[in-house]
Amino acid sequence: MSMRINWAILLGLVLVILENTVVPWLIPSGWSDRLLPHLTFILTIFVAGYAGRHPAFLFGLGFGLLQDMLAYGYLIGPYGFGMGLIGYFAGLLSEYKSYTIGLFSWVILVFGMMLDSIVYWIYNLFRLTNLQFAHVFYWQVAPTALLQLLIALLMYVPVRRYLVKALPSTGEDSSE
Amino acid sequence: MSAIFRLMRNKRLFILMIGLILFIALMGFTFGRNRLTWPEKFVSDAIGTVQGVFYRPVGAVADFFRDLGRLSDVYKENEQFRQTVAQYTQDQIKFNMLEARNKELEELLGFTEHQKNMDNYRYLPAQVVGTTSNPYEKTITINLGSKNGIKSDMAVRTSDGLVGMVSKVKNFTSTVTLITNLDPSSSKGTPVSATFLSKPDSFGIIEYDEETKTLLMSKIEEKDKPTDGDTVITSGLGSLFPKGIIVGTVKSSQVGDFGLTYTAVIEPAAKFDHLRDVFVIVVPELDDVNDVNEVDEP
Repeated sequence: MSMRINWAILLGLVLVILENTVVPWLIPSGWSDRLLPHLTFILTIFVAGYAGRHPAFLFGLGFGLLQDMLAYGYLIGPYGFGMGLIGYFAGLLSEYKSYTIGLFSWVILVFGMMLDSIVYWIYNLFRLTNLQFAHVFYWQVAPTALLQLLIALLMYVPVRRYLVKALPSTGEDSSE
Repeated sequence: MSAIFRLMRNKRLFILMIGLILFIALMGFTFGRNRLTWPEKFVSDAIGTVQGVFYRPVGAVADFFRDLGRLSDVYKENEQFRQTVAQYTQDQIKFNMLEARNKELEELLGFTEHQKNMDNYRYLPAQVVGTTSNPYEKTITINLGSKNGIKSDMAVRTSDGLVGMVSKVKNFTSTVTLITNLDPSSSKGTPVSATFLSKPDSFGIIEYDEETKTLLMSKIEEKDKPTDGDTVITSGLGSLFPKGIIVGTVKSSQVGDFGLTYTAVIEPAAKFDHLRDVFVIVVPELDDVNDVNEVDEP
Protein backbone atom coordinates (compact mmCIF):
# COMPACT_ATOMS: atom_id res chain seq x y z
CA MET A 1 0.00 0.00 0.00
CA SER A 2 1.14 3.50 -0.60
CA MET A 3 -0.41 6.90 -0.29
CA ARG A 4 -1.33 9.79 -2.54
CA ILE A 5 1.01 12.19 -0.78
CA ASN A 6 -0.02 15.30 -2.72
CA TRP A 7 -3.63 14.81 -1.75
CA ALA A 8 -2.60 14.08 1.81
CA ILE A 9 -0.76 17.43 1.98
CA LEU A 10 -3.79 19.21 0.61
CA LEU A 11 -5.99 17.45 3.17
CA GLY A 12 -3.49 18.46 5.85
CA LEU A 13 -3.84 22.14 4.95
CA VAL A 14 -7.62 21.84 5.04
CA LEU A 15 -7.39 20.12 8.43
CA VAL A 16 -5.17 22.89 9.83
CA ILE A 17 -7.81 25.43 8.88
CA LEU A 18 -10.67 23.31 10.22
CA GLU A 19 -8.77 22.73 13.46
CA ASN A 20 -8.48 26.46 14.13
CA THR A 21 -11.86 27.61 12.85
CA VAL A 22 -14.63 25.02 12.81
CA VAL A 23 -13.62 22.67 15.64
CA PRO A 24 -13.62 25.35 18.41
CA TRP A 25 -17.23 26.18 17.56
CA LEU A 26 -18.29 22.55 17.84
CA ILE A 27 -16.83 22.16 21.33
CA PRO A 28 -19.28 23.19 24.06
CA SER A 29 -18.31 26.28 26.04
CA GLY A 30 -17.32 24.60 29.30
CA TRP A 31 -15.09 22.09 27.53
CA SER A 32 -13.17 24.45 25.27
CA ASP A 33 -9.91 24.11 27.20
CA ARG A 34 -10.28 20.37 27.70
CA LEU A 35 -11.03 19.08 24.22
CA LEU A 36 -8.37 20.31 21.82
CA PRO A 37 -8.14 17.71 19.06
CA HIS A 38 -5.11 17.90 16.78
CA LEU A 39 -6.43 16.89 13.39
CA THR A 40 -3.06 17.09 11.67
CA PHE A 41 -1.68 14.65 14.25
CA ILE A 42 -4.33 12.13 13.19
CA LEU A 43 -3.34 12.61 9.56
CA THR A 44 0.31 12.14 10.49
CA ILE A 45 -0.54 8.75 12.00
CA PHE A 46 -2.37 7.81 8.77
CA VAL A 47 0.70 8.80 6.78
CA ALA A 48 2.88 6.80 9.17
CA GLY A 49 0.70 3.74 8.70
CA TYR A 50 0.46 3.86 4.92
CA ALA A 51 3.55 5.69 3.67
CA GLY A 52 6.28 4.86 6.14
CA ARG A 53 8.41 6.66 8.66
CA HIS A 54 10.21 9.27 6.58
CA PRO A 55 7.13 10.89 4.99
CA ALA A 56 5.42 10.74 8.39
CA PHE A 57 8.38 12.47 10.03
CA LEU A 58 8.34 15.28 7.47
CA PHE A 59 4.55 15.53 7.68
CA GLY A 60 4.57 15.83 11.46
CA LEU A 61 7.45 18.28 11.43
CA GLY A 62 5.89 20.51 8.77
CA PHE A 63 2.35 20.65 10.06
CA GLY A 64 3.51 20.84 13.67
CA LEU A 65 5.65 23.87 12.89
CA LEU A 66 2.81 25.43 10.90
CA GLN A 67 0.49 25.00 13.86
CA ASP A 68 3.10 26.48 16.19
CA MET A 69 3.54 29.45 13.92
CA LEU A 70 -0.19 30.16 13.81
CA ALA A 71 -0.54 30.00 17.60
CA TYR A 72 2.75 31.79 18.28
CA GLY A 73 2.64 33.73 21.45
CA TYR A 74 5.58 32.41 23.44
CA LEU A 75 7.28 29.49 21.70
CA ILE A 76 7.67 28.03 18.23
CA GLY A 77 8.59 24.38 18.10
CA PRO A 78 6.81 22.21 20.69
CA TYR A 79 4.33 20.71 18.24
CA GLY A 80 6.90 20.61 15.45
CA PHE A 81 9.18 18.58 17.68
CA GLY A 82 6.49 16.38 19.17
CA MET A 83 4.71 15.56 15.93
CA GLY A 84 7.94 14.97 14.01
CA LEU A 85 9.14 12.54 16.67
CA ILE A 86 5.80 10.76 16.94
CA GLY A 87 5.41 10.55 13.17
CA TYR A 88 8.78 8.87 12.95
CA PHE A 89 8.10 6.36 15.71
CA ALA A 90 4.60 5.58 14.47
CA GLY A 91 6.11 4.96 11.02
CA LEU A 92 8.78 2.73 12.54
CA LEU A 93 6.09 0.73 14.32
CA SER A 94 4.09 0.32 11.12
CA GLU A 95 7.13 -1.18 9.43
CA TYR A 96 7.28 -3.94 12.04
CA LYS A 97 3.57 -4.56 12.22
CA SER A 98 1.09 -3.28 9.66
CA TYR A 99 -1.81 -1.26 11.00
CA THR A 100 -5.09 -3.03 11.46
CA ILE A 101 -7.96 -0.98 12.82
CA GLY A 102 -7.35 -2.31 16.33
CA LEU A 103 -3.67 -1.42 16.38
CA PHE A 104 -4.45 1.88 14.68
CA SER A 105 -6.87 2.84 17.48
CA TRP A 106 -4.26 2.07 20.10
CA VAL A 107 -1.64 4.06 18.22
CA ILE A 108 -3.93 7.11 17.98
CA LEU A 109 -4.77 6.88 21.68
CA VAL A 110 -1.28 6.25 23.06
CA PHE A 111 0.66 8.52 20.71
CA GLY A 112 -1.96 11.26 21.16
CA MET A 113 -1.33 11.16 24.90
CA MET A 114 2.42 11.12 24.27
CA LEU A 115 2.21 14.18 22.01
CA ASP A 116 0.33 16.27 24.56
CA SER A 117 2.66 15.06 27.30
CA ILE A 118 5.74 16.07 25.30
CA VAL A 119 4.23 19.49 24.68
CA TYR A 120 3.39 19.81 28.39
CA TRP A 121 6.97 18.96 29.38
CA ILE A 122 8.37 21.54 26.97
CA TYR A 123 6.13 24.31 28.33
CA ASN A 124 6.93 23.18 31.84
CA LEU A 125 10.65 23.28 31.02
CA PHE A 126 10.33 26.92 29.96
CA ARG A 127 8.26 27.65 33.10
CA LEU A 128 5.28 28.72 31.02
CA THR A 129 2.91 26.49 32.93
CA ASN A 130 2.92 25.66 36.63
CA LEU A 131 0.44 22.83 36.45
CA GLN A 132 1.06 19.34 37.78
CA PHE A 133 1.27 16.62 35.15
CA ALA A 134 -1.44 14.54 36.84
CA HIS A 135 -3.83 17.47 36.62
CA VAL A 136 -3.01 18.18 32.97
CA PHE A 137 -3.44 14.52 32.12
CA TYR A 138 -6.86 14.33 33.72
CA TRP A 139 -7.98 17.76 32.55
CA GLN A 140 -6.84 17.90 28.94
CA VAL A 141 -4.66 15.02 27.71
CA ALA A 142 -7.02 12.10 28.32
CA PRO A 143 -10.27 13.72 27.04
CA THR A 144 -8.44 15.07 23.98
CA ALA A 145 -6.98 11.66 23.17
CA LEU A 146 -10.40 10.02 23.38
CA LEU A 147 -11.93 12.64 21.10
CA GLN A 148 -9.03 12.19 18.68
CA LEU A 149 -9.73 8.46 18.61
CA LEU A 150 -13.34 9.15 17.71
CA ILE A 151 -12.40 11.58 14.93
CA ALA A 152 -9.74 9.17 13.63
CA LEU A 153 -12.25 6.35 13.40
CA LEU A 154 -14.63 8.63 11.50
CA MET A 155 -11.81 9.51 9.10
CA TYR A 156 -10.62 5.92 8.72
CA VAL A 157 -12.86 4.79 5.87
CA PRO A 158 -12.67 7.97 3.74
CA VAL A 159 -8.89 8.14 4.10
CA ARG A 160 -8.49 4.50 3.07
CA ARG A 161 -10.81 4.91 0.14
CA TYR A 162 -9.44 8.13 -1.32
CA LEU A 163 -5.88 8.52 -0.07
CA VAL A 164 -4.52 4.99 -0.01
CA LYS A 165 -3.52 3.38 -3.29
CA ALA A 166 -3.74 -0.40 -3.18
CA LEU A 167 -0.79 -2.08 -4.81
CA PRO A 168 -2.07 -4.93 -6.98
CA SER A 169 0.60 -7.35 -5.73
CA THR A 170 -0.39 -7.24 -2.06
CA GLY A 171 -4.16 -7.05 -2.46
CA GLU A 172 -4.69 -7.37 1.26
CA ASP A 173 -6.42 -4.09 1.97
CA SER A 174 -9.69 -5.08 0.34
CA SER A 175 -10.19 -7.84 2.86
CA GLU A 176 -10.62 -5.38 5.70
CA MET B 1 34.63 7.36 26.23
CA SER B 2 34.24 4.27 24.06
CA ALA B 3 30.66 3.99 25.27
CA ILE B 4 29.94 7.44 23.82
CA PHE B 5 31.50 6.44 20.51
CA ARG B 6 29.39 3.30 20.42
CA LEU B 7 26.35 5.50 21.03
CA MET B 8 27.42 7.76 18.18
CA ARG B 9 27.53 4.80 15.83
CA ASN B 10 23.83 4.36 16.32
CA LYS B 11 22.84 6.76 13.57
CA ARG B 12 19.19 7.03 14.52
CA LEU B 13 19.91 8.03 18.11
CA PHE B 14 22.53 10.49 16.94
CA ILE B 15 20.10 12.21 14.60
CA LEU B 16 17.48 12.29 17.34
CA MET B 17 19.90 14.02 19.68
CA ILE B 18 20.88 16.57 17.03
CA GLY B 19 17.18 17.18 16.37
CA LEU B 20 16.50 17.68 20.07
CA ILE B 21 19.32 20.19 20.35
CA LEU B 22 18.13 22.05 17.24
CA PHE B 23 14.61 22.26 18.58
CA ILE B 24 15.66 23.43 22.03
CA ALA B 25 17.71 26.10 20.25
CA LEU B 26 14.72 27.09 18.08
CA MET B 27 12.42 27.31 21.09
CA GLY B 28 14.96 29.28 23.07
CA PHE B 29 15.42 31.64 20.15
CA THR B 30 11.70 32.22 19.62
CA PHE B 31 11.06 32.55 23.37
CA GLY B 32 10.36 36.15 24.29
CA ARG B 33 11.08 37.71 20.92
CA ASN B 34 8.91 40.45 19.52
CA ARG B 35 9.88 40.80 15.86
CA LEU B 36 8.75 38.24 13.33
CA THR B 37 10.69 37.24 10.24
CA TRP B 38 9.00 37.56 6.86
CA PRO B 39 8.36 33.82 6.26
CA GLU B 40 6.49 33.64 9.55
CA LYS B 41 4.46 36.72 8.67
CA PHE B 42 3.71 35.41 5.20
CA VAL B 43 2.57 31.96 6.33
CA SER B 44 0.49 33.32 9.20
CA ASP B 45 -1.13 35.97 7.02
CA ALA B 46 -1.94 33.49 4.25
CA ILE B 47 -3.50 30.90 6.54
CA GLY B 48 -5.11 33.55 8.73
CA THR B 49 -6.88 35.14 5.78
CA VAL B 50 -8.27 31.80 4.63
CA GLN B 51 -9.34 31.01 8.20
CA GLY B 52 -11.46 34.16 8.26
CA VAL B 53 -13.58 32.74 5.46
CA PHE B 54 -14.47 29.74 7.62
CA TYR B 55 -14.45 31.01 11.19
CA ARG B 56 -17.07 33.72 10.86
CA PRO B 57 -19.83 31.84 8.97
CA VAL B 58 -19.45 28.85 11.28
CA GLY B 59 -19.57 31.20 14.26
CA ALA B 60 -22.70 32.86 12.92
CA VAL B 61 -24.44 29.51 12.51
CA ALA B 62 -23.35 28.35 15.98
CA ASP B 63 -24.53 31.61 17.53
CA PHE B 64 -27.84 31.30 15.73
CA PHE B 65 -28.49 27.91 17.31
CA ARG B 66 -27.39 29.19 20.72
CA ASP B 67 -29.76 32.14 20.36
CA LEU B 68 -32.62 29.80 19.50
CA GLY B 69 -32.02 28.08 22.82
CA ARG B 70 -32.10 31.42 24.62
CA LEU B 71 -35.34 32.67 23.05
CA SER B 72 -37.32 32.13 26.24
CA ASP B 73 -35.00 34.43 28.20
CA VAL B 74 -35.51 37.34 25.86
CA TYR B 75 -38.49 38.78 27.69
CA LYS B 76 -36.71 38.86 31.03
CA GLU B 77 -33.59 40.27 29.43
CA ASN B 78 -35.61 43.02 27.74
CA GLU B 79 -37.08 44.01 31.09
CA GLN B 80 -33.57 44.31 32.52
CA PHE B 81 -32.40 46.38 29.58
CA ARG B 82 -35.32 48.78 30.05
CA GLN B 83 -34.22 49.42 33.61
CA THR B 84 -30.61 49.82 32.59
CA VAL B 85 -31.51 52.34 29.90
CA ALA B 86 -33.53 54.41 32.38
CA GLN B 87 -30.55 54.38 34.72
CA TYR B 88 -28.27 55.25 31.82
CA THR B 89 -30.27 58.36 30.82
CA GLN B 90 -30.03 59.60 34.38
CA ASP B 91 -26.28 59.01 34.43
CA GLN B 92 -25.85 60.64 31.04
CA ILE B 93 -27.15 63.97 32.37
CA LYS B 94 -24.85 63.77 35.36
CA PHE B 95 -21.94 62.73 33.12
CA ASN B 96 -22.43 65.67 30.74
CA MET B 97 -22.43 68.13 33.60
CA LEU B 98 -19.32 66.57 35.11
CA GLU B 99 -17.52 66.52 31.78
CA ALA B 100 -18.23 70.18 31.12
CA ARG B 101 -17.02 71.03 34.62
CA ASN B 102 -13.92 68.92 34.10
CA LYS B 103 -13.11 70.70 30.82
CA GLU B 104 -13.48 74.06 32.53
CA LEU B 105 -11.11 73.06 35.29
CA GLU B 106 -8.59 71.66 32.82
CA GLU B 107 -8.65 75.02 30.97
CA LEU B 108 -8.11 76.87 34.22
CA LEU B 109 -5.18 74.67 35.16
CA GLY B 110 -3.64 75.13 31.72
CA PHE B 111 -3.58 71.49 30.62
CA THR B 112 -1.58 70.94 27.44
CA GLU B 113 -3.34 69.43 24.44
CA HIS B 114 -1.88 65.98 24.96
CA GLN B 115 -2.71 65.87 28.64
CA LYS B 116 -6.32 66.56 27.71
CA ASN B 117 -6.38 63.79 25.12
CA MET B 118 -4.61 61.22 27.28
CA ASP B 119 -7.78 59.23 27.97
CA ASN B 120 -9.38 59.52 24.53
CA TYR B 121 -8.82 55.98 23.39
CA ARG B 122 -9.59 54.92 19.88
CA TYR B 123 -11.30 51.57 19.37
CA LEU B 124 -10.46 49.62 16.23
CA PRO B 125 -13.12 46.99 15.56
CA ALA B 126 -11.55 43.68 14.60
CA GLN B 127 -12.91 40.31 13.66
CA VAL B 128 -11.61 37.09 15.12
CA VAL B 129 -10.48 34.72 12.37
CA GLY B 130 -9.20 31.77 14.34
CA THR B 131 -8.17 30.22 17.62
CA THR B 132 -5.69 27.48 18.38
CA SER B 133 -5.65 23.93 19.66
CA ASN B 134 -2.53 24.51 21.75
CA PRO B 135 -3.52 24.34 25.43
CA TYR B 136 -0.56 26.46 26.60
CA GLU B 137 -0.77 29.27 24.07
CA LYS B 138 -4.24 30.64 24.59
CA THR B 139 -4.29 32.94 21.62
CA ILE B 140 -6.80 34.16 19.06
CA THR B 141 -6.02 35.60 15.63
CA ILE B 142 -7.64 38.86 14.53
CA ASN B 143 -7.90 40.28 11.04
CA LEU B 144 -5.97 43.51 11.68
CA GLY B 145 -2.23 43.82 11.35
CA SER B 146 0.57 46.33 11.15
CA LYS B 147 -0.97 47.73 7.94
CA ASN B 148 -3.98 48.79 10.05
CA GLY B 149 -1.82 50.41 12.69
CA ILE B 150 -1.76 47.56 15.19
CA LYS B 151 1.27 47.40 17.45
CA SER B 152 2.22 44.75 19.96
CA ASP B 153 1.10 45.16 23.60
CA MET B 154 -2.13 46.93 22.66
CA ALA B 155 -5.08 45.92 24.84
CA VAL B 156 -7.99 44.02 23.30
CA ARG B 157 -11.54 43.98 24.62
CA THR B 158 -14.98 42.81 23.62
CA SER B 159 -18.12 44.84 24.26
CA ASP B 160 -18.24 43.08 27.64
CA GLY B 161 -14.73 43.52 28.95
CA LEU B 162 -10.99 42.98 28.68
CA VAL B 163 -9.91 39.82 26.84
CA GLY B 164 -6.21 40.15 26.19
CA MET B 165 -3.20 41.80 24.66
CA VAL B 166 -1.80 41.86 21.13
CA SER B 167 1.31 39.71 21.25
CA LYS B 168 2.57 39.21 17.69
CA VAL B 169 1.77 41.53 14.80
CA LYS B 170 1.94 40.43 11.17
CA ASN B 171 1.04 42.47 8.11
CA PHE B 172 -2.67 41.66 7.86
CA THR B 173 -3.36 39.61 10.98
CA SER B 174 -2.15 39.57 14.56
CA THR B 175 -2.21 37.17 17.49
CA VAL B 176 -3.86 38.17 20.73
CA THR B 177 -2.83 36.46 23.97
CA LEU B 178 -5.79 36.09 26.31
CA ILE B 179 -5.53 37.43 29.87
CA THR B 180 -5.85 33.87 31.15
CA ASN B 181 -2.38 33.34 29.67
CA LEU B 182 -0.79 36.55 30.97
CA ASP B 183 -0.42 35.27 34.52
CA PRO B 184 2.60 37.11 36.00
CA SER B 185 3.69 34.05 37.96
CA SER B 186 4.67 32.27 34.74
CA SER B 187 7.99 33.22 33.22
CA LYS B 188 6.61 35.40 30.43
CA GLY B 189 3.54 36.86 32.11
CA THR B 190 2.47 40.48 31.93
CA PRO B 191 1.04 42.02 35.07
CA VAL B 192 -2.28 43.79 34.54
CA SER B 193 -2.95 46.33 37.27
CA ALA B 194 -6.55 46.67 38.33
CA THR B 195 -8.68 48.69 40.69
CA PHE B 196 -12.21 48.63 42.13
CA LEU B 197 -14.78 50.91 40.56
CA SER B 198 -16.05 52.03 43.97
CA LYS B 199 -12.52 52.60 45.36
CA PRO B 200 -10.47 54.34 42.64
CA ASP B 201 -7.32 54.38 44.76
CA SER B 202 -7.22 50.66 45.34
CA PHE B 203 -4.67 48.50 43.58
CA GLY B 204 -4.34 44.86 42.65
CA ILE B 205 -2.74 42.58 40.07
CA ILE B 206 -4.78 40.31 37.82
CA GLU B 207 -3.66 36.70 38.01
CA TYR B 208 -5.03 33.47 36.64
CA ASP B 209 -5.08 30.26 38.60
CA GLU B 210 -4.61 27.49 36.04
CA GLU B 211 -5.47 24.79 38.55
CA THR B 212 -8.92 26.08 39.45
CA LYS B 213 -9.46 28.04 36.19
CA THR B 214 -10.36 31.25 37.99
CA LEU B 215 -9.32 34.85 37.47
CA LEU B 216 -7.88 36.42 40.61
CA MET B 217 -7.02 39.92 41.74
CA SER B 218 -4.20 39.72 44.25
CA LYS B 219 -2.05 42.05 46.34
CA ILE B 220 -4.98 44.23 47.38
CA GLU B 221 -4.09 46.46 50.31
CA GLU B 222 -5.65 45.76 53.66
CA LYS B 223 -7.58 49.04 53.76
CA ASP B 224 -9.30 48.25 50.46
CA LYS B 225 -11.19 45.17 51.54
CA PRO B 226 -12.98 43.85 48.42
CA THR B 227 -16.76 43.76 48.56
CA ASP B 228 -18.59 41.06 46.67
CA GLY B 229 -20.24 42.29 43.48
CA ASP B 230 -17.89 45.24 43.07
CA THR B 231 -16.73 45.90 39.49
CA VAL B 232 -13.03 45.48 38.73
CA ILE B 233 -11.52 47.74 36.05
CA THR B 234 -7.98 48.21 34.77
CA SER B 235 -6.23 51.02 36.57
CA GLY B 236 -3.79 52.10 33.86
CA LEU B 237 -0.90 52.03 36.31
CA GLY B 238 2.21 50.63 34.73
CA SER B 239 1.15 52.29 31.47
CA LEU B 240 0.84 49.09 29.43
CA PHE B 241 -2.91 48.74 29.65
CA PRO B 242 -5.21 51.75 29.26
CA LYS B 243 -7.39 52.51 32.24
CA GLY B 244 -11.08 51.96 32.75
CA ILE B 245 -11.65 48.70 30.93
CA ILE B 246 -13.99 46.35 32.75
CA VAL B 247 -12.34 43.10 33.82
CA GLY B 248 -15.15 41.56 35.84
CA THR B 249 -16.95 41.54 39.16
CA VAL B 250 -15.78 40.29 42.54
CA LYS B 251 -17.24 36.88 43.34
CA SER B 252 -15.57 36.23 46.68
CA SER B 253 -12.48 37.28 48.55
CA GLN B 254 -10.08 35.93 51.11
CA VAL B 255 -6.95 36.99 52.96
CA GLY B 256 -3.88 36.57 50.75
CA ASP B 257 -0.68 34.58 51.12
CA PHE B 258 0.99 36.38 54.02
CA GLY B 259 -2.10 37.71 55.73
CA LEU B 260 -1.22 41.27 54.76
CA THR B 261 -3.16 41.53 51.52
CA TYR B 262 -6.47 40.40 50.10
CA THR B 263 -7.07 38.21 47.10
CA ALA B 264 -10.39 38.48 45.25
CA VAL B 265 -11.88 35.89 42.93
CA ILE B 266 -13.17 37.63 39.82
CA GLU B 267 -16.00 36.58 37.58
CA PRO B 268 -14.72 37.73 34.16
CA ALA B 269 -17.03 40.08 32.27
CA ALA B 270 -15.96 38.75 28.88
CA LYS B 271 -15.92 35.11 27.98
CA PHE B 272 -12.75 33.84 26.38
CA ASP B 273 -14.01 31.18 24.03
CA HIS B 274 -16.27 31.48 21.00
CA LEU B 275 -15.19 35.07 20.41
CA ARG B 276 -16.24 36.83 17.20
CA ASP B 277 -15.87 40.59 17.44
CA VAL B 278 -13.25 42.38 19.49
CA PHE B 279 -11.90 45.92 19.75
CA VAL B 280 -8.25 46.86 19.79
CA ILE B 281 -7.67 49.86 22.02
CA VAL B 282 -5.34 52.46 20.56
CA VAL B 283 -3.90 54.83 23.13
CA PRO B 284 -3.30 58.28 21.56
CA GLU B 285 0.19 58.64 20.16
CA LEU B 286 2.07 60.97 22.46
CA ASP B 287 5.75 61.50 22.95
CA ASP B 288 5.38 61.17 26.71
CA VAL B 289 3.49 57.94 26.55
CA ASN B 290 5.92 56.51 24.02
CA ASP B 291 8.87 57.34 26.22
CA VAL B 292 7.31 55.60 29.18
CA ASN B 293 6.58 52.54 27.04
CA GLU B 294 10.11 52.28 25.83
CA VAL B 295 11.47 52.47 29.35
CA ASP B 296 9.10 49.73 30.45
CA GLU B 297 10.17 47.28 27.82
CA PRO B 298 12.97 45.00 28.98
